[in-house]
Amino acid sequence: MSLWRQLSHGLRRLIDRNAADQELDDEIDHYLEETAATFVARGLSPEEARRAARLELGAPASVREEVRDYGWENRIDNLWADLRYAGRTLTGNPGFTAVSILTLALGIGAFTAIFSVVDAVLLRSLPYPEPQQIVRIWEQAPNGHRINLADGNFDDFLTQNHTFASLAAYNERPASVSGGSEPARVKWSEVSHGFFSTFGVKPLRGRIFSPEESRTQGIPAVIVSFPFWQRYFGGADDLSPLHLKIEGKDYAVVGVMPESFDYPAGNALWTPAGLQSQSKNRTGHNWRGIGRIQAGVTLAQARQDLSAIARRIRAEYGKKVDLQDAAVLPLDKALVGDVQTALLTLLGAVGLLLLVACANVAGLLVARGAARRKELALRVALGAGRGRLLQQFLVESLALSLAGGTLGVLLAAWAVRLLPAILPANLPRQQGIVMNTGVLLFALAATFAVGAALGALAAWRAGRGDVQQALASGSRAYTGTGASQRLRGVVVTGEIAATLVILIAAGLLGRSFLRLVSTSPGFQARNLVTMQFSVPVETEQNGALGPDAVARQARLLERVSARLQALPGVEAVGVSGAMPVAEGDNLAEGDFLILNGRKPPADFEEFQRMGQNSGQTGHALYAVAGEEYFRTMGIPLVRGRMFAAQDQAEAQHVAVISEALARQRWPEQDPLGQELEFGNMDGNLKPLTVVGVVGDVRARGLDAPPGPVVYVNYRQRGMNLNSTPTLLLRTAAPVKKVVQQARAIVQEMAPDVPLKFSTFEEQMSGWLADRRFLLLLVGLFAAAALSLAAIGIYGVVAFSVARRTQEIGIRVAMGARREDILRLVVGEGARLAALGAAIGIGASLLITRLLTTLLFGISSTDPVTFAGVALLLGLVAVLASYLPARRAMRLDPNTALRYE
Amino acid sequence: MEEQNTDLIQGTLDMLILKSLDLEPMHGFGIARRIEQVSRGVFKVNPGSLLTAFQRLERMGWLDSEWRQTENARKAKFYRLTPAGRKQMGIETANWNRRATAIARLLKAEA
Repeated sequence: MSLWRQLSHGLRRLIDRNAADQELDDEIDHYLEETAATFVARGLSPEEARRAARLELGAPASVREEVRDYGWENRIDNLWADLRYAGRTLTGNPGFTAVSILTLALGIGAFTAIFSVVDAVLLRSLPYPEPQQIVRIWEQAPNGHRINLADGNFDDFLTQNHTFASLAAYNERPASVSGGSEPARVKWSEVSHGFFSTFGVKPLRGRIFSPEESRTQGIPAVIVSFPFWQRYFGGADDLSPLHLKIEGKDYAVVGVMPESFDYPAGNALWTPAGLQSQSKNRTGHNWRGIGRIQAGVTLAQARQDLSAIARRIRAEYGKKVDLQDAAVLPLDKALVGDVQTALLTLLGAVGLLLLVACANVAGLLVARGAARRKELALRVALGAGRGRLLQQFLVESLALSLAGGTLGVLLAAWAVRLLPAILPANLPRQQGIVMNTGVLLFALAATFAVGAALGALAAWRAGRGDVQQALASGSRAYTGTGASQRLRGVVVTGEIAATLVILIAAGLLGRSFLRLVSTSPGFQARNLVTMQFSVPVETEQNGALGPDAVARQARLLERVSARLQALPGVEAVGVSGAMPVAEGDNLAEGDFLILNGRKPPADFEEFQRMGQNSGQTGHALYAVAGEEYFRTMGIPLVRGRMFAAQDQAEAQHVAVISEALARQRWPEQDPLGQELEFGNMDGNLKPLTVVGVVGDVRARGLDAPPGPVVYVNYRQRGMNLNSTPTLLLRTAAPVKKVVQQARAIVQEMAPDVPLKFSTFEEQMSGWLADRRFLLLLVGLFAAAALSLAAIGIYGVVAFSVARRTQEIGIRVAMGARREDILRLVVGEGARLAALGAAIGIGASLLITRLLTTLLFGISSTDPVTFAGVALLLGLVAVLASYLPARRAMRLDPNTALRYE
Repeated sequence: MEEQNTDLIQGTLDMLILKSLDLEPMHGFGIARRIEQVSRGVFKVNPGSLLTAFQRLERMGWLDSEWRQTENARKAKFYRLTPAGRKQMGIETANWNRRATAIARLLKAEA
C-alpha cells in the first residue's frame, strides 16, 4: 500500500534522520566510486578518475540536498527548524517578545470577552424548539407606536388568524407571595391558555394548567420557576402539598418550569390569566402578545395576516379603538431591543482596540525586519526561496499570536467570570455568557488571522529589499531603511486614527453620563432610604379597592410610618405607590376625563363614551401618595394646597398635579378646582378635584423630560395591584442602622409582608447601570488604545532618532541649537499624530452617528468632545516623542558622528 | 560546437528506471549506465534526479531495495521491481507507445 509506505518511510526518516542521511551518503559514495571506476577503466589514474567523477556528478552535498528535499517529512522538518529558529529569535529578544505577546493578549482577550457577551445576547438562538418561529405581537397605533393588546382585540387576533400555530397573552407585575420558606416580592405573570405551548416547553415537574384551571374564574393554580422552586421549596419533589398565597389569594402549585425557561425574564410565578373572553374592552391595553408562527409561514405573511385583522377591527370600531395595524417582531429581536446598539458599540470599540494592538505589533515586526535585513539577505543568497522565507515569518508571527491568543483567552475567561458583577441587570440573556466552543473557535480564528496578517506584512516588507544592497550597506542597515520607517509611520498613523475614534466614543458617552447625573430629578435624592412594603391588596371587581380595604391599608401605612418616624435620626417618612426615576417604568399612565361641570360617568361604558372628545381629556402618569411624600422628597408646592387632614375617605376626593401637566393642559386657565375623572386607574369612579400644583420630577428617568403627573391621596384611593407601596425615609443616620431598626419594627407589626430596603441613590445607580457599564468598558478600551498608540509613536520616533544619529550629530556640529533638535524630533511625532487625528476625526464624524441613541444632551458630533480628544491625543503624542527628543538633544556630536 | 541535449524527456525517467529493472535488480549507478548505454548516449541521467526518483518509486510501492555485495565486492543499494511496479511499467509503456505513435504520425503528416 503506497500510503502506508509514504507514512512509514517518512516516519523512519523523521525519527532517525542520521541513519537516513548515512544511507543516502553511502549510496552517493557508491555512485561516485562506480563512476570513478569507469574512468580508471579508461586509463585515468585513481586520483584523476575521482576528480573527473566529481566533476561529472556535481557536488555530493547538492545531490544530497536535492534528494533530501523530497517527501512530506521534509516539510515538517523545515517547519520544525523554523519553529526552533523562531523560538531562538523570540527568546533572544525578550523585550520585544514580551511586549508583543502582552499587546496581542490584551487585544485578543478583550475582543474574546466582549464577543462572548455578543454571542450570548445577540447571536445564540433562544433555548426553545424552532425559536425563529416565536414572535412578539403588538397593536400598532396610528402614530406608529407599538402598544400592548386589549382583551377584545387579542380575542380577534386569536380566533381569526390563519398563520399562527398558537397565540397567547400575558402580563407581568410584581407580587407579594407567601407560603414558601419566607414571604417574598417576586415577578408574577398571568398567562393565557397556549402560553407554554407557544414556547414548546414542558414543565420539569408537574404539569401545565388543566382546562378547569385555565377558564375564567377557574381553580387557582400556579406554576413556579426553577429558581423559585429551589429557593422557597428547597427543590421538593412532591408538589401536591405545596400552596402559595399570591396577593392574599390561595393557589395550588401544579408545576415547575425547567431552569432554561426564563420568560418573561426573571419571572417566578405563572398563573392562568382570568382573560374575559366576552370582554368588549378594546382600549385597555393590558396584555403582551406572543405567538408561534406555523411552520412554513414567513414573518411577513404572519404580519399581513394580523394587519388584516387589525384593519377589520379599525373599520368596525373606528375611533373607539387605538389600533390601526399590528406589529410582529421575532422574539429574540424583541428581547434584545436597544441593547443591540450598546453591544455593537462595545464590539466596535474592542475591534478597534484589537486593530491598534495589531498595529503596534506590526510596527515592532517591521522595525525588527529592518534590523534583520542582512540576515535575511544572507539566507536568500544561500538559496532560501521566497516560500521558505514567508514560512519562517509566518511561523514566527503565528508563534507570537498563539502565545498572545492563549494568554488572551485566559484573560477573557477571567473577565467573563468577573462580568456578572458589572453587567447591567437589565441586559437580557446574560446568564448565557460563557466561554463555549464557539467563542473559543472565534478567538482561535482571530488569533490565526492576526498571526497570518502580521507574518505576511513582515515577509512582504522583507522580501522587497534588494539583496545585494542589503548585504553591501554595512551596519547602517541595522537602523532600517527609509522605506520601512515610512511603513511604520503609516501603521502608526492608522493606529492613532483608530484610537481617536474610540476616544471620541468614550468622550461622548462620558459627557452624556455627566450631563445625566447632574440633571436634577426634581427632588433631593440624597439621604433617602426606601422600603418597599408590599401590603396585601384586597381587590374587588375591576381591580378596585372597597372603602374598608382603603381604610385598613391606610391605617397600616400610617401606623408603620408613625413608628418609623419615631426612629432616631429619621427626619421625615413619606408614602408612595411607586418610586420615580428608579422604577419609573412601573408608574401607571393613562387618559383621564376633564369633567368641566359634567356629571361623572356612572360606569366604564359611559367613561369610554365621554372620552371620545379629546378636548375634554388629558394624559398623565398616575401616582398614589400622601402629603408627607412631598415633604420627604423635597418636591415643592407651587400653588394651592397639599393633601390635608380634611381629605377623608368620604369627603371630596382631591388631586395634586405637576407643573408640567398644568402647563400642558391648562396653559391659560387656573387648574385649581378642575374636576378630573381618573377612575380607569384604580376602578373607583369618584371624581378628583385639583387642589394643588407641585414641582416637576423626572419620573420616567433622568433622560426623559418631566412628565405630567396626577397625584392622588392614598388615604382616599388606596393602592391597588398597579402600585408598589413604598415608604421613603429621609435620614442622615447611617443607612445600615436605620434599615436594621426599621426591619425589626415592621416585621413585628406585619410579619407576613415582604420587605425590600434600598437607598434612593442605589436605585438610581441601578437605573444608570447600563450606561455606566458601557462607559466603563469603552473608557477602558480607549485608555488601552491610547497607551498603545503612545508606545507606537514612541517606537517610531525613537527609531528615527537612532537612525538619524549621525545626521543629528552633523546638525549639532553645524550649530543647531537644542530647540532645533527638539523641534525636529517632536515635530515628527506631532506630524504623525496630526495626520492620524485628522483621519480619525473624519472617520468619527461618520461613525459616531450610530451612537445617537446612547447619547444624552449632546450631539454625536459634539465639538467640545472632538476638540478635547484631539488635544489629549496631541499631548500624548508630544510626550511620547519628547523622550527620544531628549536623548537626541543630549547627543555629543563627537560620538554621534562616529556612530555606526 | 553545438552541445547535444542529453536531458531526459520530461516524465520518462520513472518509466526508464522501471524498464531497466525489468530484467534484474540493479543499483543506482547500474541503472544510470544502462540508460546511457542502451540509449547510445542520447540520454544522460542526473544522479540527483535519479536518487530522488528512487525515493518516490519506492514510496509508491513499485520498487523494493536492499544493500548487497556487488560483483566487484562493493556494498551497494540494489533496487528490484515489485509486482505493482511491473504492472505500472506495463501501463507506462503502453501509454508512451500510444503517444509516441501519435507524435510520429503527426510529424509525418507535416512533412
